[in-house]
Amino acid sequence: MPLGWWTRQRHYFLYTVREFTAVPLALWLLWLLVEIKRAGDGPARYSPHGSTAFVVFSVIVLLFSLYHSYTFLTLAGAIIHVKVFDRPVPSTLIDLSQFASWAVASAVVAFVLVWFGR
Amino acid sequence: MPDKRITIQAARFDPDHDEKPRLQSYEIPFYDESMVVLDALNYIKSHVDGSLSYRWSCRMGICGSCGMMVNGTPKLTCNAFLRDYWPRPVVVQPLNNFPLIRDLVIDMDDFMHKLKSIKPWIIRKQEMALGAGEHRQTNEQIDDFRQFSECINCMLCYAACPVYGLNEEFLGPAAIALARRYNLDSRDQGLKDRLPVIADPEGVWECSFVGECSVVCPKGVDPAKAIQQTKLDTTMRFVLPYGNRD
Repeated sequence: MPLGWWTRQRHYFLYTVREFTAVPLALWLLWLLVEIKRAGDGPARYSPHGSTAFVVFSVIVLLFSLYHSYTFLTLAGAIIHVKVFDRPVPSTLIDLSQFASWAVASAVVAFVLVWFGR
Repeated sequence: MPDKRITIQAARFDPDHDEKPRLQSYEIPFYDESMVVLDALNYIKSHVDGSLSYRWSCRMGICGSCGMMVNGTPKLTCNAFLRDYWPRPVVVQPLNNFPLIRDLVIDMDDFMHKLKSIKPWIIRKQEMALGAGEHRQTNEQIDDFRQFSECINCMLCYAACPVYGLNEEFLGPAAIALARRYNLDSRDQGLKDRLPVIADPEGVWECSFVGECSVVCPKGVDPAKAIQQTKLDTTMRFVLPYGNRD
């Protein structure tokens, strides 16, 4: 197979982007660990990054993260095979349940962060 | 009105004379809107160049013989209409990821070996006595595996799979879908016999869910779904208490 096989088709390209999203996510999480360590010095001595470059980096990583999550959750309908009253649950319904769970989990995490951050 | 014509660029390769495949152009009459690429190849072989070699049989999308790359996409040539490509040239090449025998004919030995390796037959621990009658199934039991039984072994999924292209040891979409067809069959008791092959690192776990196999499948088998469901099933058997029971 030629090295550029993933550029031959749109579907291959999107698959490669999907797999690549783990890299910027991992880099951003490494930064988060560094920030958590820095925050351990206490509020008086800690100031978060506010540079434009960092904001742009975070927005790009957010986009990758959203694509990563979207592709992951939409695969659930293909993977999960569930029957209710002997009838298979449609894959669309399974996908919707995953997105609903994602929304609820995000709301809970956001509430906890805001509540303890006050 | 002048006769409509279309250009077919077909791959040619003679193992006795050529080092690598080349494209040969043929301009043929496009006399009917219902013409498919297979019709074009048959016209070339009958009227222009009888040496062109390719496989075909039913010409109606059920035998799986005529799979080829059409403008870079694996397709059944009996199901690829010329009107969808005209007036651009149609490039016909042998299926990707398979050794080439001649022109558009590929070596399918590896595929046949992989199909056989998953034991595609009903395996019983204890055969029913003949006098007990046939194995009965409800419509719901048949629906459980019906989709995965629609495979016509056309190998388009293998041509589309970049994992198989990079690693020929990968069991592949059609073989795994066929294994799932038998594992879901209520008459079958052979899951444990098939597990060493499908749960192998070169089995389901080599798949990274590109999904192109399901996109190109002409019969809607959705082998990608079969593979991911098999991954889940084999994992649950490993994780759950008594998951490996018969």
